[in-house]
Amino acid sequence: MFRKRYRQQIPELNTTSTADISFMLLIFFLVTSSMDTEKGLLRQMAPPPLEHEQPKDINRDNVMQVKLDGNNQLTCDGKTITYKELTAAVRSLAFVNRTGHVISIQADAATTYEAYFKMQDAVVIAYQELRDEYAKKHFGHGYNACTNDEKTAINEYYPQRISESPIQEGGAQ
Amino acid sequence: MRPMKSMFHQSRRSVPSLNVASMPDLIFTVLFFFMIVTHMRSDEVKVRLQVPEGVEVQKLANKQSVVNIYIGREGEKKGRSKGGRWAVQLNGNIVNPDDIPALIEHIRGGLSAENQARLTVSLRVDRQAPMGLVSEVKRNLQQAYALKINYNATEIKK
Repeated sequence: MFRKRYRQQIPELNTTSTADISFMLLIFFLVTSSMDTEKGLLRQMAPPPLEHEQPKDINRDNVMQVKLDGNNQLTCDGKTITYKELTAAVRSLAFVNRTGHVISIQADAATTYEAYFKMQDAVVIAYQELRDEYAKKHFGHGYNACTNDEKTAINEYYPQRISESPIQEGGAQ
Repeated sequence: MRPMKSMFHQSRRSVPSLNVASMPDLIFTVLFFFMIVTHMRSDEVKVRLQVPEGVEVQKLANKQSVVNIYIGREGEKKGRSKGGRWAVQLNGNIVNPDDIPALIEHIRGGLSAENQARLTVSLRVDRQAPMGLVSEVKRNLQQAYALKINYNATEIKK
């Protein structure tokens, strides 16, 4: 009697619609979520200038004047250069005078953001190359493989000394 | 030529049904993949913009302490690249650049002490945006002591 009951076939659950349900979930997630990455160039701005603060004098030899004019023309100390050349120039300056150099950035009000961003990127590439070399020499691995302490040490060794002058109004606005 | 009988016999044979039992599993795998690699869209972007491309980009660490600022052209029409006023959007709504310090202060008030120190402003700016507007926004951020900024960009390999 019992035997017979056990031998009875268990009815199978109909799971045909599970695929449809999960498809619906999938489409819901595709619609409500976005793929765009939260990536970018991280920068630290200087605090707002105080009223009584006097601008510091720096030796002119250590300053590199990087300018972008209204036509997105990049100039460095008066000479027209490309972004690649800017990277090389920043690199050699930061290598020779690690803690004393200043890169002064100035953009025009009509400069497009893309040109400005490329310029910032070119400067950061130069620093990153120097830091990567330092990391390989002293820690035996690339900058990205460093621990936080090592990164802090490298960042102090090769500080990013970028000064940004406010944009002068007037002209093409 | 085959005999008649065998021809009829063949056509009456039923097609074996496909086993679709593993189909939900496959779709669930895709679903989980998408759930992991994407994140929920936090706010609707009301301006049209395309961020620039950069090499030295880093990932933003903490999502809670990020304020999004979008700078792009106003208007919905995707086809027109020209036209439309430049507008600044902070998180969910279009704002006047001069109101940014007050709004940042308001956002900061709602954050925990840890996140207040980590507050980062993610700037998503259109490639063609004039620097005059961008620097105006930056000056206002400076006034609000939101000094950590992040120029959003898509990564390109060297």
